Amino acid sequence: MNKLVVFYILALGLCFGSAQAETILIKGAKVHTLSDKGSLDTADILIADGRIVQVGSSLDASAERVINASGKVVTPGIIAPISELGLVEISAASTTNDHSVTGESIGSAFNPLPAYNPKSTLIPFNRAGGVTSAVVFPSISPWDGGAVEAQRVFAGRSFAIKLNSEFDSVEARDVAQKAYLGEAGAQLAGGSRASAYAKVESALREALEYRENRSAIRRGEWRQLDYNLADLEALQPVVDGKASLVVTANRASDILAALALAKVFDVKLVLLGAAEGWMVADQLAEAQVPVVIDAINNLPISFSSLGARLDNAALLTKAGVKVAISGPDYAATHNLYLSRQSAGNAVAHGLPYEAALKSISSNVADIFSLDGGTLETGAVADIVIWSGDPLEVTSYPEQVLIAGVPQSLVTRSTRLRDRYSKPSKGHKFGYRH
Amino acid sequence: MQLYSRVFGRSIAVVLFTSVLLSACGEKKSGEHGQRSLDFARLDAFPSTYAINQSRPVLIQGATLLTGTGAQVEKADLLLEDGKITQIGKVLKAPKGVLIIDGEGKWVTPGIIDVHSHLGDYPVPSIESSQDGNEMTSPNTAQVWAEHSVWTQDPQFPLALAGGVTTLQVLPGSANLFGGRSVTLKNVPGRSVQDMKFPGAPYGLKMACGENPKRVYGGKGTSPATRMGNVAGYRSAWIEASHYKKKWEDYVENGGEEPKRDLGLETLAGVLNGDILVHNHCYRGEEMAVMLDIADEFDFHISTFHHAVEAYKVADLLAEHNVCAAMWADWWGFKHEAFDMTEANIAIVDQARACAMIHSDSGVGVQHLNQEVAKAMAAGQRAGFDIQPKDAVAWMTLNPARALGIDGQTGSLEMGKMADVVVWSGNPFSVYTQVEQVFIDGELMYDHADAKRQPRSDFELGILNAEGERL
Repeated sequence: MNKLVVFYILALGLCFGSAQAETILIKGAKVHTLSDKGSLDTADILIADGRIVQVGSSLDASAERVINASGKVVTPGIIAPISELGLVEISAASTTNDHSVTGESIGSAFNPLPAYNPKSTLIPFNRAGGVTSAVVFPSISPWDGGAVEAQRVFAGRSFAIKLNSEFDSVEARDVAQKAYLGEAGAQLAGGSRASAYAKVESALREALEYRENRSAIRRGEWRQLDYNLADLEALQPVVDGKASLVVTANRASDILAALALAKVFDVKLVLLGAAEGWMVADQLAEAQVPVVIDAINNLPISFSSLGARLDNAALLTKAGVKVAISGPDYAATHNLYLSRQSAGNAVAHGLPYEAALKSISSNVADIFSLDGGTLETGAVADIVIWSGDPLEVTSYPEQVLIAGVPQSLVTRSTRLRDRYSKPSKGHKFGYRH
Repeated sequence: MQLYSRVFGRSIAVVLFTSVLLSACGEKKSGEHGQRSLDFARLDAFPSTYAINQSRPVLIQGATLLTGTGAQVEKADLLLEDGKITQIGKVLKAPKGVLIIDGEGKWVTPGIIDVHSHLGDYPVPSIESSQDGNEMTSPNTAQVWAEHSVWTQDPQFPLALAGGVTTLQVLPGSANLFGGRSVTLKNVPGRSVQDMKFPGAPYGLKMACGENPKRVYGGKGTSPATRMGNVAGYRSAWIEASHYKKKWEDYVENGGEEPKRDLGLETLAGVLNGDILVHNHCYRGEEMAVMLDIADEFDFHISTFHHAVEAYKVADLLAEHNVCAAMWADWWGFKHEAFDMTEANIAIVDQARACAMIHSDSGVGVQHLNQEVAKAMAAGQRAGFDIQPKDAVAWMTLNPARALGIDGQTGSLEMGKMADVVVWSGNPFSVYTQVEQVFIDGELMYDHADAKRQPRSDFELGILNAEGERL
């Protein structure tokens, strides 16, 4: 590689991820490991080759970069359990949205991965808010009018990303499949929750039938199936237990129906929404089914979430359910990082502090089998150094590391702030780059 | 080339006439608001807050000047002071603190003026929520003003600046017989559109002939569905506007109850009054002739036919009526009315002694208007006309200034005019030539060699890479 090429690659930031080899020592912070070690009032973290080598006190190492984090709080990076990062830029500008499609199939085959744009402005913005990884899902809006096929109850396949804006930032593929049950499912499946349920059930059944008789089906020596082969193929990781099946359900009875379905097919179920999850917390715990909730939502916004309340996370966690907290619905993907505000509110309503931190980080990693979420030897160095309590809305990330690489916290928002920090008459602002 | 301006002359006459009226009724004031006046143009409703105070004098030395007034001057110096062109000559004395531009081998022209733009109203990125240029809800939307749609952070503005464009007219779109008011802007970064408004520039009224209005409304099963429907629509609106104007004149003359204001009729009455200039999207020769008759019938003046693909067929008529034509170098064929194209269009109109000019109607074209003029000039030469760069440059400078009623202030390199100046790396009519510097009112607003002198709109900050600019 000649020098010019190297220059251009550096200029484009292509080497950002791989350029790191430096060892980093974070010194003297309050460290929430989210591991068995719990929280440490003053600790050092040594990082090499993108992973944590050691967490302890008075670590003596000749690190290439030493970060004095005295008085600061250090946590694993936030992991967003549900997002449309890289698939959406401006929600109301249709050409910038790739998360939602219409079509003839049930939708499970839809794979938004080729549409993923790691240069989306939403990524630096959420990174600057402390998010280091996210699971990216397609979606369907049942309220968009005629655009939706009544048969379509699966949104499609998901993937996980690191928020480093790199072209190779996809961390994992086929992490989960997303389907709609409950009220949203009813809207999509012709008007009844039961129809959505039946669609998911029959799709899973055919996916199993396909798995057992793949070659005969491929040869055309089999009965006519209801679903196309691409959809059934896409459901294989789900019926094999390799990918989660994430289903929407808010009403307690819908959640129970989903649990029953998962039991029949022995799939790794994750409930998304679960506003009334607290009402069936014991059943969820017994089934070991985790939930992804919007912990700040307490509105009876529909009849399927009449029981929405702020201590949902606390009650679920207390019952032994693994809880992941998502960014608030009202802010959607643009402000995923606000999951920490939701988590803070959950603490204010009874969720133990460390459980709240886990709900936006290590629990998410566990649920979707992702790297990250803890600060312990061998863990990937996705780390945030906070100005203060990360669940407090007045705190902010001072430094963010992804796989041990310090990240830029500059965003369009900070650029605009800097341009207009002292608004004045005239044309000069156009020259403040 | 004819460089006088009947339009400008008319506005002066109107000002004089109005002041006579005012003084005549000075003793018959009504109400506590003082004098009654015929202020149809409402220039002060959204007043220009544009200001550039030139920070240091500029001396461009030893360049080839295309003055825009028909002259090419070799090895000339140009001095810009206090926002004005103060001297043109040989070996000028450099004032204190001057910025010296070595013009050796460079060419200098007046700033380019695009008489037909939708920048800000059809910004990029072109998404559904940003289509703010065409109020396609009624054949007559004379009440809308293009300036109220302008997104000043449209990244097309700085790109046009890099192409040497210092002034542009933003027009509403062409779906309607009467599209609304245009606005003339200086191409500078502005937080509000008023920061960009060319001080004192008259407003324009966008009208459209032909296929667009009849397609849009005929397609909805309403009038106009034909060209004759178009004309009926224009005439009935002008009848109404004439009544409106008369009502106000009576009021100014005789007092009584103040008539109720009507935004649409106010704009049309401003045209009848001579304060607002008509910019008429009109492709066909026949239709231009009809429009001239309508203007005669209702006693108003059409400043400029835009997109005038068939202007060459009626160039003598245009000259006779003192009407300008704004044309493309070579666009054609996208509509039936754009089918009869000749690349010599601008040249023929020019040679018939009518006021001819280039226009873009395009975010890309606006960046290369010099090349568009070059093509039109070459086509004119091949048609047998003696047209040189010194002549053709006016097609992108003084003539559009005339069409906009601002030729008294800008559009040529003449002493006392606004120091709107482009320094080119060579002959501006070569495809290889680049804009090196652009001055607006004497201030260096763009410098090809200095990224700090290249404005970036808000949109461009951190958009591809959070720490960088767009490109």
